[in-house]
Amino acid sequence: MLNYIWISLIAIGILVAAGNDVRDEVQNTYRNGVPIEATVSIQKSPTSLRQSWEGDLVMSADAYNSFYGIKAAKSEIHQPIIVNVAPSGESTVSLPLGSASPDLWKEMSKAATNKDKLVGSVLSMTLAADQQSARLQIVIEPIRFMKFKAVTQAALDYASTAVTIALGLIGIMALWLGVMKVAEEAGLLRIVTRMLTPVTKRLFPDVPTDHPAIGAMIMNIAANMLGLSNAATPLGLKAMEELNKLNPKVGTATNAMVTFLCINTGGLILIPATAIAVRASSGSANPGIIIGTSIFGAGCATVAGVVAARILQRLPRYRKDLEPEVRKEASNG
Amino acid sequence: MGDLFRALINAVSIVAIPLLLILFLGYGILKKVRVYEVFVEGAKEGFTTAVRIIPYLVAMLCAIGIFRASGALELLTAVLAPATNLIGMPSETLPMALMRPLSGSGSLGIMTELMKVHGPDSFIGILASTMYGSSETTFYVLAVYFGSVQIKNTRHAVPAGLIADLFGMLGAVFICRILFGV
Repeated sequence: MLNYIWISLIAIGILVAAGNDVRDEVQNTYRNGVPIEATVSIQKSPTSLRQSWEGDLVMSADAYNSFYGIKAAKSEIHQPIIVNVAPSGESTVSLPLGSASPDLWKEMSKAATNKDKLVGSVLSMTLAADQQSARLQIVIEPIRFMKFKAVTQAALDYASTAVTIALGLIGIMALWLGVMKVAEEAGLLRIVTRMLTPVTKRLFPDVPTDHPAIGAMIMNIAANMLGLSNAATPLGLKAMEELNKLNPKVGTATNAMVTFLCINTGGLILIPATAIAVRASSGSANPGIIIGTSIFGAGCATVAGVVAARILQRLPRYRKDLEPEVRKEASNG
Repeated sequence: MGDLFRALINAVSIVAIPLLLILFLGYGILKKVRVYEVFVEGAKEGFTTAVRIIPYLVAMLCAIGIFRASGALELLTAVLAPATNLIGMPSETLPMALMRPLSGSGSLGIMTELMKVHGPDSFIGILASTMYGSSETTFYVLAVYFGSVQIKNTRHAVPAGLIADLFGMLGAVFICRILFGV
């Protein structure tokens, strides 16, 4: 199953990206090659307009919206602009983008030659009588294959993110695996394990009740519920390692592993600290109001996951995966 | 009552780690375990486990990254919106529900954005934050946990995990509608 989900994510992603790019091209979403007309108030008055000068490009929301065929702009647009006047008369402009720049332009810059500005060429420039402003007709550089560029960037970025995450785990993993080893040698895990045997016996019937895996799983679930995600992951991985020692078939998930994972992905947590923090920072009158609802939601997820795991593990196609290999057959996940 | 519970849990999560450390190591000394040597012995595995996860995590995160960047989520939202309207789930929160199992940072971003637009105490704001707290990043957990023991055939883990996510999201909609419903 994971094989299909994995290839679907990639294939759907690439197909949708292609579709979006074709649509943008057909509709000319970014108005490639279409001149945009705007008034520029000259800020740094140049000694002569034959050099480069800076100004403030002003466009009414209506003019901007009707040019791009959108409704995004709510107020008048002010965008810094630098006009480079070349001796030959071929003037160019560059629009350095900041937080006040229109969203569409910021989005377009992701596929532009420069990530933080848009460049373009000047078709015509008419100076106002008072020399304080000019009427410009500019064509912004063509923006193409926006989504394809984004997909490429994402694939590369996420590949290195994965390594960063994994390497970031090393220290914290070492700490908790060390502590767990001490607890194991001292027999502390066995005590924890014995206390919860009535529960774990039912949840994980395939695991011997005094196996170290049970202790590690209990510790992981407890750490998760307290929101100690730093400690939870190493403990969970320790549990997986112990469960794998009972695995009759290397490289295949056992029933206990899947049940354990479902408890983990249910994400039962007593205080959803991240959500509360975001609520508080966005000015909620009662950030903690979601504690109860989150516990309910996560409870639903956990129970549904465990029940689903128990039902699915009985299906012939999943049972067959665990049988020792008799003949060479293609495994599907 | 709710505040007391919150204060209690907060206190527990602050003292939990120091307490666990001293409890575990102290008990070890009591039982005549050579704590330092045993700790180092166990800690050695940290490096290999972390490194072992890398290929699984790269495979999973790249696929998710491509999916996110392509704009497929918007498309999926448009397709599924009529169905979620039937159960009283605002279509604004649909990207949240779809992103939650895929990416922790992605769903955090969507939640923050929804609260900025609709306000944290609006129905959408409450529902989005409940959804965030109602599930874990299933595919990340799957990649890390199975990766650490080199499991390639995950059997029924993906369907079971997705069923858990589905019920988590439905549970969030259900309880929020009852308590804060419009």
